[in-house]
Amino acid sequence: MSPSQHINALQIEGLTVRHGGVVAVADAALRAAPGAITCLVGMNGAGKSSLLRAIVGLAASEGDISLGTRNLSRLPIEARIHAGIAYVPEGRRVFPGLTVGENLLVAGPSGARLRRQRLDRALDLFPQLRPRIQDRAWQLSGGQQQMLAIGRALMAEPDVYLLDEPTLGLAPQIIDDVAGSLRQLAEEGAAILVAEQNAGFAERVADEIVTIQTGRIMPDRPGRIDT
Amino acid sequence: MLGAQLALNAVALGAAYALVAIGFVLVLNATTAVNFAHGESVVAGGFAAVALTGALAMLLPAGNAIPGIVLLPGVLLLTALLGLAIAALAYLPIRNRPPVSVFVTTIAFGIIVTNGLNAAFGAAPRAAPALLGTGTIEFLGVTASRQSLAIIATAVVLIGALAFVLQRTQLGRQFRACAQDPEMARALGIRLTRITLLAFALGTAFAGAAGLLLAHQFFVTPSDGAGLILKAYIAVVIGGWGSLRGATIGAMLIAFFEVGVASISSQPLAEGLLYVAVLLVLLVRPDGIFGEPQRLRA
Repeated sequence: MSPSQHINALQIEGLTVRHGGVVAVADAALRAAPGAITCLVGMNGAGKSSLLRAIVGLAASEGDISLGTRNLSRLPIEARIHAGIAYVPEGRRVFPGLTVGENLLVAGPSGARLRRQRLDRALDLFPQLRPRIQDRAWQLSGGQQQMLAIGRALMAEPDVYLLDEPTLGLAPQIIDDVAGSLRQLAEEGAAILVAEQNAGFAERVADEIVTIQTGRIMPDRPGRIDT
Repeated sequence: MLGAQLALNAVALGAAYALVAIGFVLVLNATTAVNFAHGESVVAGGFAAVALTGALAMLLPAGNAIPGIVLLPGVLLLTALLGLAIAALAYLPIRNRPPVSVFVTTIAFGIIVTNGLNAAFGAAPRAAPALLGTGTIEFLGVTASRQSLAIIATAVVLIGALAFVLQRTQLGRQFRACAQDPEMARALGIRLTRITLLAFALGTAFAGAAGLLLAHQFFVTPSDGAGLILKAYIAVVIGGWGSLRGATIGAMLIAFFEVGVASISSQPLAEGLLYVAVLLVLLVRPDGIFGEPQRLRA
């Protein structure tokens, strides 16, 4: 699959997220383009996770979130996911008591045959998971769990991948593998939005870098990241 | 030989208790809340069987006995609807409140069920028909109660069907995913409310089936619910909070304890000693005998 016109861009306008009385994200605007990796970089507490959680619908927000021409802002979480958004949270959050295969299948579409095809695709992207398919997810290493979390997102074949700190706690070799898989997904046409503290990783994989500080998206500073 | 018969009785009782405990865990895993109306759901199953027997008796020629097994689909359906009502009225509206709110609403729902049954059927004990007739048969050289064997077979079929759904189907995977991390399950597009409703429907239907199985041998009265929820609770605590396998084993242990102690003393003493045993178990193993990490839930 080459970058496709059928895949929609994620567009955010005037997004504000509040936790109680505290503003976590203020009036944010952002675009994640199909076929590209957009890195949202910032320090701990800058608002990266809140922004991603707001896009998925896990955090309440004001403002507009749209996928192509479709406005998702008023939709519940499930409808946003079915519209084409996939979320890979910080800490992976694989289902520990489910096997690797079950973790992937549970995120798949209706229809056993289609699910099996997607499962094969996920395992092609992460061949390290294939021999572990019957193992429970808690038995995997951190790196393998990260691959599983990305593979699980892939099962829905979304337009947009949201990844929250995908390199956290991973060895350099595994980070390279994760970077390679994200690049492949982007080349297949998906829009990838990655929240990262790891400036080196962001500079290496990103087609575009957006900086966030204390909840505010900074004016364009391409290629430079202040951490 | 007497030992084998007692063991068979214990397995039959344990099979019925296991249905109650599994139903309790299904709701617990889907909601992390304790459904205190679960005991009354068992009682409702018993009375559903009584009511259906009466209704069918009017349709059939006089003198035709109605086997309890014929009532099972109707009892499952009626108590599944009761479960949906518990979810809709006592859980979903307050699911984001502290868990104690759900304790109160489900206790209130249970009291409403008890009083409703009292008004409809009266306080006197009632009995459901035997599943496949009464009497005994020779089974593996043991004289076995037909009802005990039918209870065991029914429970095995129901638990086996549930295990198949949970382990082998997409719905079952979604169910287990929700039990382990409901927020993440939602973030994968799984409709949590649908799974919650299903958990209440299935869990309460299992309780209802147990009500049908128990209401022949032990009769049923509207006020039986408290004792039954306590046994489910104990089975789950002994077996390990949130584990279906543990709940089944816990239910069997309770039944063997009750039948064993009652055979050498009396039923009230057996019940009293059961609670003593539970206290001792929890002093030694606070996570239950088969306590397992939350990660292996469902």
